[in-house]
Amino acid sequence: MVTALLVILGFCAGLLGALTGIGGGVLLTPILALHFGIPIRQAIGTSLVAVITTSTASSSVHLQRHTTDIRLGMTLELATALGAAVMAYLVGYFNRDALEGLFAAFLLYSSITILIKRGRVKPHEEERPSPVDETATEETSSDQAVIPPYEPKRYPLGLAASLAAGALSGLLGIGGGPIKVPVMYIFMNVPLMVATATSNFMIGVTAAASAIVYYRRGDILVQYAAPLAVGVFVGSLLGARLAPRVRTKVVTYLLVGVMFYLAGNLILHLLRGWL
Amino acid sequence: MSQVREPEFDRAVAWVLRIGAFGCFFIMVAGVSVGLFVTGHIPLDIERAGVLLMLATPVVRVVVACFLFFREKDWKYGWISLGVLLILMLGSVFGIGEH
Repeated sequence: MVTALLVILGFCAGLLGALTGIGGGVLLTPILALHFGIPIRQAIGTSLVAVITTSTASSSVHLQRHTTDIRLGMTLELATALGAAVMAYLVGYFNRDALEGLFAAFLLYSSITILIKRGRVKPHEEERPSPVDETATEETSSDQAVIPPYEPKRYPLGLAASLAAGALSGLLGIGGGPIKVPVMYIFMNVPLMVATATSNFMIGVTAAASAIVYYRRGDILVQYAAPLAVGVFVGSLLGARLAPRVRTKVVTYLLVGVMFYLAGNLILHLLRGWL
Repeated sequence: MSQVREPEFDRAVAWVLRIGAFGCFFIMVAGVSVGLFVTGHIPLDIERAGVLLMLATPVVRVVVACFLFFREKDWKYGWISLGVLLILMLGSVFGIGEH
């Protein structure tokens, strides 16, 4: 009943991802590698499909709220897609141990970062009240968010950071939202609501750029990707509905716990290979 | 420039994503359910179709945005979209590997 397990796994990853804003790819790759016995490179390729699914489903919702900056997203995608495609190509030359080691390091790093921030960053609450009067924005219907006028700044910096985020995505099979959002918000002067929606929007193309390379190399296992994507789809849609009602702090601790566990297991797995 | 909101544009792109996401979901559900009763290449082929549609959805999204930018005579962003499309295409050429 591997299929049923995969659907449940995808569901949980999608749910956690939507609730915490940390994509499911971070969890899926190591679980596929450790508990389903898939070589890590194919685990990365397979989890990329789930990453595209999440981004596609959720950014269609963001687009309807008109919070996505398609022009900014498209510009930065030049860099993320390039970084992702090139890195995905290079991954073909990496050996398994190097990839597992890199992944374990990334898991440890991100769980420690989350612990340090400890629920302080909660995007929707952190949104600054706009200093500009609201008459400046165009017509606002009931379901349309009010966004203060802004002009993205420091494009070179944004593009450089996007290149790195894309490369990381191609290397580890993750979305890279936790990098893109702060870059747009802090460095490029983009309102947080727009940065979040635009990052989500970009993840689909970024992940597709590397997933295409993985697919051509035979590193996407469709019999695993399909049930995972089914679960992720349902999980992330449910998570998006539940998000306003769930205490993210508890969920975040749960996520950090799982990430530590996976990092530890990856390191053990590596050590066992060497001894 | 960047903060110009075009509801029509957003809606068109959102439709592409929605069709892609729901289309894949149903194809993959079909593949997985068929796989419960039938073994062999049939469920695998259906699942492969779902995965390929999922990979194609972001590409189609770029194509549609590119078309819309050029139709609006927004040359700068039209060319940028074309650049993104080119990178995506290159990926599928370089991905062919002997690894």
